Amino acid sequence: MNPTIAAQMIRADFLKLRRKRGTLIWALVLALGPIVIYFAVSVIEHASNPVRYGPAGGAQNFRDGLRVIALFFGPLAAILIGVEAGTGDVSAGVFRDLVVTGRSRLALFASRVPAALALCWIVMLAGYVLLAGGTFGFASNLPTPSSTTMIDGFLFTFLGTGVLCVVAVGVASLTTSKPAAIIALIAWQVVASPLISRVGALGSARKGVLTQAIAHFSPVPVGGDIIVMSAATAVIVLAVWIALFLGLGAWRTRTMDS
Amino acid sequence: MEPAIETHGLTKRFGDRVAVDAIDLRVPRGSAFGFLGPNGAGKTTMIRMLLGLTRSSAGTASLLGYPVPAERAIALQRVGAIVEEPRFHPQLSGWENLSIVAAVRGPEVRERIAPALARVGLSDRGGDKVKKYSLGMRQRLGVARCLLADPQLLILDEPTNGLDPGGIQEFRLMIRELVEQEGRTVFLSSHLLDEVEKTCDSAAIVDRGKVVMQGPIAELAGGGRGAAHELDLGVDDTDLALATLAKLDLVREAHRVEAGVRVLLAGKVETAAAINAALVHAGVGVLRLEPVRHTLEQRFLEVTARLDAPITDEPRPEEPA
Repeated sequence: MNPTIAAQMIRADFLKLRRKRGTLIWALVLALGPIVIYFAVSVIEHASNPVRYGPAGGAQNFRDGLRVIALFFGPLAAILIGVEAGTGDVSAGVFRDLVVTGRSRLALFASRVPAALALCWIVMLAGYVLLAGGTFGFASNLPTPSSTTMIDGFLFTFLGTGVLCVVAVGVASLTTSKPAAIIALIAWQVVASPLISRVGALGSARKGVLTQAIAHFSPVPVGGDIIVMSAATAVIVLAVWIALFLGLGAWRTRTMDS
Repeated sequence: MEPAIETHGLTKRFGDRVAVDAIDLRVPRGSAFGFLGPNGAGKTTMIRMLLGLTRSSAGTASLLGYPVPAERAIALQRVGAIVEEPRFHPQLSGWENLSIVAAVRGPEVRERIAPALARVGLSDRGGDKVKKYSLGMRQRLGVARCLLADPQLLILDEPTNGLDPGGIQEFRLMIRELVEQEGRTVFLSSHLLDEVEKTCDSAAIVDRGKVVMQGPIAELAGGGRGAAHELDLGVDDTDLALATLAKLDLVREAHRVEAGVRVLLAGKVETAAAINAALVHAGVGVLRLEPVRHTLEQRFLEVTARLDAPITDEPRPEEPA
């Protein structure tokens, strides 16, 4: 497949995603809503009792906001977008119409990934811009994050949500069921991962938890039950997750009756 | 020239059940070919195998001379298909839905979107979201999607499902234009006898996964049980005519019908002239004499052994979706 067709297919997949209004709205709500609420509450608290509550912006609040967008709600938005990308054609019933063009199923699968990442990162960019705006806009006399920290935070947000988005594309393509994929991924991310991270008996096996590997790259302390691992280990864990679920999704797309 | 579709022993099994049973099919190019059978006969499964949507259990198939699935990518470049009902992304417009398929097919295909929409009469509605389309409009958009391939072969699975009579008539005319004016081949799967008879040049009748008969429509309709060997007579004296016919060796059976007399010939239909002469000689005024033309429906009922059971639109439970 030549690059022109690949680019066309990615644009077509991006079009399908960005016009899926429900998914896009929920992704934006998850990416922006918590940041808005966080700053709104902090601003009100500070306004009501400036002695007890500091300004809403600054480095400390950036750290909390980054944790919210990169490790909690951002990944949920990424999951919604990834799942939509992975199941959109099948659930709309058009996958077979794409297959009968003669284009390889692997190419049809592959174009979903960059399209999903593009939309995911656009949504995350909006969330991060909001976070940065609040961090500096409400900083008052508090120290603000350095430009390096801001860039690292930006990359960390993109890494965390991007990995989840790609894994979601794979899981959704594997299950071909939007509800099943969303429930499985959110349950894993919100319930299972924190629980597993707290089970000390599992020892270094906990390094295999995706969130732990992502958290390793955070530019600021993210708190919680962090399992210490080397950068190489974290990279390997992320690569295995991505390869495993993209591989399974591609296999399912290639072999399923359509 | 290679046939548009050719299969040998094409078979599909779902566990112990044989959905398509060793089908041999040959669809000539430049014609409309009907694939006729009741719901659950295996028509859609056959089409899905041809298009590589599901794997065959045995046998070989080729589209436009290319073996499938081995060379399906090349074969399908010039094939347009609607499998079951045409489906689209409802949140996108008709034009955008076509642009997605155009993107998958190749850079040059985008230029065909506007002509394809015009061809099916949807130019004015191309910008509307598909969720606002009627079923008939979606069917037409499905055909437009097929035309993006500039297809030598169109495979249409139950294409008139849900269309009103006017829509069916339009659709029929469009199929004939595609065949007669543009030289394309249309493979039309249907359980609607009338649709196949009026649209297609030739057909295969399929039942319980097997092709039980194939050939030109006229031959299929006329080749049934005594179908070409009956005459309808209009006479001025029915009793005298029946008495006269009873004495003729050329006549196997004659009986009164509402419009006159129905004669079952002992020989070929060419003996009609001799029968006419005998009746006139006996003093019977023959007002009308015509061979009985059996419809494809009668033939269909005969070969699918459903003379005592009405054809139903209800799908059989074993037909895969």
